Amino acid sequence: MADRIATVFMWGVALLISAVFAWIVGDLLLQGLPHLSWGFLSATPTDAGRAGGILPILVSTLLILAVCMVVAIPLGLGTAVLLSEFGRRNPLFGRLVRYSLDVLAGVPSIVFGLFGNAFFSLYLGMGFSILSGGLTLACMVLPLLIRSSETALRAVPDDYRRAAAALGLPVFATLWRILLPAATPGLIAGLVLGIGRALAETAALLFTSGYVDRMPGSLLDSGRSLSIHIYDLAMNVPGGESNAYASAVVLIMLLLIINALTFRAADRWLHQRITAV
Amino acid sequence: MCRARIRLNALCAFLLLMVACSGEPQQSADTGALTGQLTLTGSSTVAPLIGEIAKRFEQTHPGTRVDVQTGGSSRGVADARRGTADIGMVSRALNADENDLTAYPIALDGVAMIVHRDNPLPVLSEEQIVAIYTGQVTNWREIGGADAPITVVNKAEGRSTLELFLGYFKLRNEDIKPSIIIGDNQQGIRTVAADPNAIGYVSIGTATYEASRGTAIKALSMGGIEASLENVRNGSFPLSRPLHLVTLGSAEQASALARSFIEYAASAAVSDLTEAQYFVPLTH
Repeated sequence: MADRIATVFMWGVALLISAVFAWIVGDLLLQGLPHLSWGFLSATPTDAGRAGGILPILVSTLLILAVCMVVAIPLGLGTAVLLSEFGRRNPLFGRLVRYSLDVLAGVPSIVFGLFGNAFFSLYLGMGFSILSGGLTLACMVLPLLIRSSETALRAVPDDYRRAAAALGLPVFATLWRILLPAATPGLIAGLVLGIGRALAETAALLFTSGYVDRMPGSLLDSGRSLSIHIYDLAMNVPGGESNAYASAVVLIMLLLIINALTFRAADRWLHQRITAV
Repeated sequence: MCRARIRLNALCAFLLLMVACSGEPQQSADTGALTGQLTLTGSSTVAPLIGEIAKRFEQTHPGTRVDVQTGGSSRGVADARRGTADIGMVSRALNADENDLTAYPIALDGVAMIVHRDNPLPVLSEEQIVAIYTGQVTNWREIGGADAPITVVNKAEGRSTLELFLGYFKLRNEDIKPSIIIGDNQQGIRTVAADPNAIGYVSIGTATYEASRGTAIKALSMGGIEASLENVRNGSFPLSRPLHLVTLGSAEQASALARSFIEYAASAAVSDLTEAQYFVPLTH
């Protein structure tokens, strides 16, 4: 009997979650799809975003994400490797870093925005720019990325490390040939979470990458991200809802496409690693 | 241990490299007549309008670039003072302690009290509004409406609409007993449209536009004067505000590019843009 209740409860919860997801996506598609067209994706916004398209905003979003990931992935992976593989000899240092990261991961994004504005935009003189926004986002997703990568690396059984050591493999080869491939699914999960958080971010970008909806000419130009565009259309521009919905559909599709590409790239990499060994 | 240190050093070097690469200086704003770059920050109410004006300005003056950022009137004042922005956007009159800045009006906006469309009360007196916002009246029945608690919608601290509202009704923000605190105009409209017992205040242009689209709100008359853009234009509506651009120091201290942009933003050449964003252009 208790089992049956538990089963019903689990199914109920699972259905509820799926229903909420379906509702959100359904509402978005219902309201957004009619306004979505090739013209919307390939035109510049006019009349404060009520008319025209989102091409420059799409480009800015991808550039900001690219800057963020180019900085965050090597730094994140490097720190995770340091913590999981080399930190064991200095547990105090590891604990300190981990504690700082956990605190940073809980900091509201607007704080990162203000920090990014003060440090990258004003102190380093980048002004309102895609570079400044991307670096601020990198600071924001780094804690998430490091902690998830570290957990993934730690989940690799120590037997692998001992076996590699017994075979006399250099540390780097152990890492590259054995530990990283073994940890790939966990690393990718963290990466996808980080990308999601970066794409959804508004507060951290408002004061760093800015509000300009022109096509960016370089990384030092200000560029409006999709999330800021949606927020502005929904909250600040009367009559902007329909284009806000359409932009939100684009944002979700972008997220799905990037996630799919990431998983595919990881699969391919893993395949190469394993067959090459 | 040694390997670990090398790795750490590599990390540090990478970080330094990033910083070194990114520290490129920004080009200065005023080089010659009508070329160069302007940065504007400030009021989120004004930013969409100035964004549109900036696009037209760039078209008429090739070689110029006008970047419009947002963040609120207080930010506009702070950035203009600090020099981070060439021009600040402020959606209110300047305060007494802001006389180091020069303000240029570019358009007018009014603030209207709004209630849900189904609210039976046709009009509220100023005393009633004060009583509602200070919590002396908490039920619509007390002032002749239905028996329902009043949802008081107030604006967040630092918003110009809030300052205008407080100034007009001679209230202090501490005295207000809000049920909900909101940020931007659209949020206020959504909140009131979704709650038949709510009262709030938003920009008149936004309110009349939304009411005409069938959103479930209605704007209340103030002192017997209907809340409409027409009454803001002729100056009879009491709760109105100028939208300003501000620069640091006197008008002569502003760069030629900044001066010409400000002149352009206040000129008849952009009246259609001003009206398209539901504001009232200055009379010429």
